Amino acid sequence: MRTKRVRPIALPIALILSASLLAGCAPQEDAGLVIYSGRSESLISPFLNEFTALTGIKPDVRYGDSAALAAQLLEEGHNSPADLFISQDAGALGAISEAGLFATLDDAILNRVEEKFRSSRLDWVGISGRVRVLAYSPERVKNLPTSIDQLTSPDYRGRIGIAPTNASFQAFITALILSRGESAAGNWLEKLKANAVKLYERNSQIVAAIDAGEIDLGLVNHYYIWEVSKALGREIAVANGFFAPGDTGNMINVAGVGILSTSSKKGSASELLAFLLSEAVQRGFLEDTHEYSLVLKDANPQGLPPLSQIPAPRVDLSLLANLSKTQALLMKVGLI
Amino acid sequence: MPRRPARPSFALALNLTSLLAFLAASLPLFYLLRRALDAQISEIALILFRGKTLEILATTLGLTAAVTACASLIGVALAWMLFNIDFPFKSGLQALVILPVAIPSYVFAYSWILLIPGFKGFWAALFVLVLATTPYVTLTTLAALRRSDWSTYEVSQTLGLNGWQIFARVTWPQIKNSVAAGSLLSSLYVLSDFGAIALLGVDTLTRAIENIYRGSFDRSSASILALILVAISALLIRLEERSRQKLNIVKSSARIITKGVTTGKLRIKLIALLAINTYLALGLVIPISQLLSIFFANSTSINYSLLSKASLSTLLAACLGALIALALALPVGVLSAQGSKLGKVSDKAILIVHALPGIVMGLALVSFGSSIGWLYQSLLLLSFAYALLFMAKAVGSVRSSVARVPENLIEISATLGQKKSATFRRVVIPLATPGLLSGTLLVLLAAMKELPATLMLKPIGFETLATQMWSYTSIFRFNEAAPYALLLVLVAAIPTFLINRPDKGDGLGGDRI
Amino acid sequence: MTSLEIRDLTVQLGSREVLKNLDLYISSGLFAAILGPSGCGKTTLLRSIAGLITPKGGAIRFGKQLVSISSLVLPPHKRNVGYVPQEGGLFPHLSVEENVSFALGRRVSRKEKQEIVEQLLDLVGMPNYQKKLPQELSGGQQTRIALARALAMKPAMILLDEPFAALDQTLRAEISQEVVALLKSSKTTSIMVTHDREDALVSADIIALMRDGQVVQSGSPSEVYLRPISAAAAESTGDILTLPARRIGRNKYLSPLNSPVEQIGKQVGFESGQILVRPEEIVLMDEPDENLVSAKICKINYYGHDALVELDFTGLSQTIRARVTDTKGLVVGSRVFVSHKGPFRWMPEKATGE
Repeated sequence: MRTKRVRPIALPIALILSASLLAGCAPQEDAGLVIYSGRSESLISPFLNEFTALTGIKPDVRYGDSAALAAQLLEEGHNSPADLFISQDAGALGAISEAGLFATLDDAILNRVEEKFRSSRLDWVGISGRVRVLAYSPERVKNLPTSIDQLTSPDYRGRIGIAPTNASFQAFITALILSRGESAAGNWLEKLKANAVKLYERNSQIVAAIDAGEIDLGLVNHYYIWEVSKALGREIAVANGFFAPGDTGNMINVAGVGILSTSSKKGSASELLAFLLSEAVQRGFLEDTHEYSLVLKDANPQGLPPLSQIPAPRVDLSLLANLSKTQALLMKVGLI
Repeated sequence: MPRRPARPSFALALNLTSLLAFLAASLPLFYLLRRALDAQISEIALILFRGKTLEILATTLGLTAAVTACASLIGVALAWMLFNIDFPFKSGLQALVILPVAIPSYVFAYSWILLIPGFKGFWAALFVLVLATTPYVTLTTLAALRRSDWSTYEVSQTLGLNGWQIFARVTWPQIKNSVAAGSLLSSLYVLSDFGAIALLGVDTLTRAIENIYRGSFDRSSASILALILVAISALLIRLEERSRQKLNIVKSSARIITKGVTTGKLRIKLIALLAINTYLALGLVIPISQLLSIFFANSTSINYSLLSKASLSTLLAACLGALIALALALPVGVLSAQGSKLGKVSDKAILIVHALPGIVMGLALVSFGSSIGWLYQSLLLLSFAYALLFMAKAVGSVRSSVARVPENLIEISATLGQKKSATFRRVVIPLATPGLLSGTLLVLLAAMKELPATLMLKPIGFETLATQMWSYTSIFRFNEAAPYALLLVLVAAIPTFLINRPDKGDGLGGDRI
Repeated sequence: MTSLEIRDLTVQLGSREVLKNLDLYISSGLFAAILGPSGCGKTTLLRSIAGLITPKGGAIRFGKQLVSISSLVLPPHKRNVGYVPQEGGLFPHLSVEENVSFALGRRVSRKEKQEIVEQLLDLVGMPNYQKKLPQELSGGQQTRIALARALAMKPAMILLDEPFAALDQTLRAEISQEVVALLKSSKTTSIMVTHDREDALVSADIIALMRDGQVVQSGSPSEVYLRPISAAAAESTGDILTLPARRIGRNKYLSPLNSPVEQIGKQVGFESGQILVRPEEIVLMDEPDENLVSAKICKINYYGHDALVELDFTGLSQTIRARVTDTKGLVVGSRVFVSHKGPFRWMPEKATGE
C-alpha cells in the first residue's frame, strides 16, 4: 500500500504567490473620501450611492461599532486616514471632539439642526434622533410609572430589564448625573439594582424578553420594538411608553457626524454632511430605521409623537462624552 | 545534546525570525504598558481593588477553570472513543468533532438563546464554551493517541489490565502532554472570548475591557484590566509547562498505527456512538439547524456575488495570516524544541498574548500601523494581525512535531552531505508536516471567524464572511446573516476534512499536532 | 578510499568521559570491525568519526586530511562519510528510490539518478524496490537500502553501526556476508561497530577491540584471537579460561592443568600470574596418563556441531570448560584426563591489572 505524501513546500508557496498576485492586482484606487461609519452598511450605503450619483464623489467606508471606531480614531490620532466619522451615538462623537480631532463645521451645516442636537464646540452635528423610552408589555403593565423613581418600588421588583453596558443606557445615566448629581444618580442605581433589575447585553434582547414574558418593562431606545418585530417577522406584544414630561427617562440622544481635523478633503466631506441633512435623506432615515429626523421637525416615525412633542428633558449632548464618571459609578454600584 | 557547528547563516535566519516573532508578540504588551502608564496611580488602585474587579476576576477564573476541566474531560473521552472503537465512517466522525472550531462563539450562543428563552448566565456560558473549545482537546488528544506506542497496549492487555487500567496506566502517560496543550488552548480561548460571554451576560475580564472601551474610551483603565488578563494567561502557561514532561516515546515498531483496540462489544459501541452524536448534535447540528431555520423563516434572495467574494476574501486573508503565523511559529517552535532561550521566550510571549481580546490586539496594531501609511489597513497588516492573534494555536504543535523528528535522521542527513538548511527542508519539515498543517489549520479556522480586529484593520471595501455577517446581525437582519455563517462553517469544513485523515499517515505513524 | 587515523581522542558526554585517549589506525580500503561490549563507547567512536560529536581532544585524520582537532571540527556534511546507523535510519517519508538518491545533488540529472539508484539496488540485491516505502521493508532490507544510500555518495569511508543486529539468525550470516563482500569489492574503507564476536571475526580485515573507551588491541582476526594482550582482550573475541599459574623455572610455568607452559610476550620476572586458555585448546583423554591431571565431568552442554564440557578439578574452585567436537564416551560424573594443545598465554600478575 503506497501512501500519498504531502508536498510540504509547494502548497504554501503556491498560496503565497496567488495571494500576493491577488493583492497586487487589486487596483489601489486613489483614496476617496474615507468615512468611518458606526452606522451599518445597509442603512447608509443607499444614501451614499445617491450622493455619488449626484456629485461624482465616491466615499470609501469602514464600517464598525461606533465606540470601537472612536477608540480606533483616538488610537490613530493625527495619522488617521479618515475624513468623516458617522457615529450612532453622541458619546463617541464627544470623545473625538474632546480629543480635539474634529474640525469646526460650517454654520450652514450647523444651522440645519437645533442647537441642542449639535456639539457646543461646533465640531459635530446630529443627523438623526433616538428617544429613550420605557418599553412595556401592554398586557401585563396597566399603569405606567410616571417617573424613573417609581421603577425602584417593590411593584416592579424583578420585572425591569436594562442594558448597562450599552452606550445608550450609559448616556442616560450620564444625563441623570448631570441633572441630579452623582450621589443621587448612584442612589437610584443602587435601588434599581436592589429591586432585582435584570441585566442584558443589548436593547433588542430586552424588547425580545418583554415579548417572551421574561420581564415586563425595559429602558431602551424607541426604535427597538420596530427592529425586533421586523427581525422576528411578526407583530410583538411590546409598546413604547414615556415618563412624565421632563423626566430624564425621556431624553433624546442623536446619531451624528463630524469631520476629522486631519482630513485633506474637508470640502467633499462638508458636501456629504450637507447631503445627509437634506430633506430626502432625512425622510429616508425616518422610514428606513424609524429614527427621528432632526431636520423635518414635524415628521414622526409611525406610531410615535413628533420630536417636538416628546416630553424630553434638556440635556447638553456635548457633555455625554464624559462617560468615565458614569462607568465608575456603574462599576461602584456593580452593574458593570 | 551534543553541540554541533551549524552553518551560521541558517542558524542566524532562525534566530532572527524568532526574534521578529518575539517582537511581534510583545507589540500588544508594549502597547498595553504604554497605555496603562497613562493612568494615575490612584486610578489604577481604584480599578484593581474595587469589589467588582475581584468579582470579575473570580468569575473569569471560575469560568476558565470549569470550561477547561469539562472540555478536557469531554475532549479526551471523544478522542479515546474515536480512536479505540470501530465505527462506520470513523474518519468522517473524527473530522466532524473538530468542526465546531469553525463556528464563532457568538453563533453558538445565539443559536442556543433562540432555542431556549432566558438562556444566559454562568452556566449557559460554561455550556456554550465547552462545546466551542472541546475540539482543541479532541484534536491534540487524537493526534497523541495516533502516535502512541501500540505494542504497549497489547502488552498491557496480556498483563491482565482491564480497559480502564490500560487507560490510566498506559494511555494517559503517553497522551498527557498533548491533552495539556489542548487544554491550554481551550482556557486561553475562554479568557479572550467576547462574543458568547457578552450575549450570555457573564462578567469576565474581556467583557469588562470591551465595556470600558465602548463606554468611556478610557484606554488606560482598559489596559490595566488587559494586563491582569496577561498575568492570568502567563500563570496558565506556566502550569501547562510544568505539567509537560519530557516524554520520549520509543516506538518498538515502525509500522503505522491507525486502528485502536477494536472493542467489539455492541453495548459499548452504542454508548460511545450515542456520546459522540450527542456532542455533534449540541455542538454542530443545533447551531447549524438554527442558522438554517433563521435563513428559511424569512427567506430573502441571496446576493451570490457578494457571498462568493466574501468567501474568497476570507480565505485569502486567513490563508495569508495562517502562512505568516506558520513562518513565525516555525523558527520559534524549532528553537524552542532545541531548548534555545530565545525560542522559549518567544514561545511564551506568543502564548501570553493569545489571551488578549481581539479589540486590544486590534487597537495595538492600529497604534503601531497607523503611522505607516502604506501598511495601515492593508491586506498585509490584516494578515499579520491574524498571525499575531492566532499563532499561539500553531506554536505548540510546531514545537512538539519538530521535537519529535528523530535526531538520528537529522544526523544521517548530515552525514549524507546535507547542510543544516537542506536537512531542515528535506527531513525536518516533511516529517513535521502533519503537525505543522494541523497547527496552521487551527490558525486558519480562527482567522476566518475573527471580527473585531478585522473591522479595524481590513482594507476598505474588503469584506470577509465575518464582517458581512456582523453587518447584518448588528441591524438584526439575522436571516440575511445566516448564509454567511453557514458558508463560514462550510468553507472551514474543507481544510478540516482534508487534514484530519488518519489513513493518509506519514512514516511517523499518522503523526498530528 | 582513505585511511583513518585517530590519535588521543577524548570524548566527554555530559559528565562522563566516554572515550579516553583513544588511538586507532585503519589502512585504506580495509574492512574494520570495532568489537566491544555495549557501553564501551564504540558507537560514540563511530559518531565522532562521522562528525556527529565534537570531541574534547585528540585528532582524527582521513588520509592526510585533518577532520577533527580541538580548534577545527569539520561538520558531518563536509566529511563525505557514509553512515549506516542501527536499523538503517531510512527517511520514513521518502521512497526507497528517494532515500537512495538523497545525497545526490541537484547537478545530477533525473535520469542519472535513476540509473545510479538502479545500479545500487542491484548491488544490494534489491532490484525493483524503487517505489517501496521504508515501513514496507523488513529489517534486513532496510539495512541494505541504508547501505545503498550511503554508497550513492561515493563516500571516502563507510561507517556501520551494528548493521546486522536487527536481522534474525538465519538471514544474518547470508546478509552479512553479502554486505561485507559488497563493501570489500567496492574498496571503500569500512568500519563496522558490533558487539558480536562472530560478525567481527568472520568479516573484518582488521579488528579493534574496545574496552572502557579505549582500543585495547587491534590486528587481524587471527592475531587478536590467538594472541590477546590481556584477559579482557581475549574475552572480547571468544570464550576464555583464566587459570592461576606460577613460575617453576625459566620460561616454565605450572598451571592447575599441571603442565608447563610457554610464555607469550616479553613479560618476565614474575613468580605468579595467570594463563589464558581457549576452551577448544583443552583436550580430554579417557586413557590415564600420569603426567596429566584428572577431572570430573559435571555437565555437558551439547550444541550440535560441538559441545562444551564442564570439568571439576580437585583443589580448583572454578569449573573449566572444554570445547569438544565429539562427545562419544563422555559421561557426566566420570573422570577424564586433561591435556592441551597450542601455546598457553601467560599473564604475569601485574599485567592483568589485579
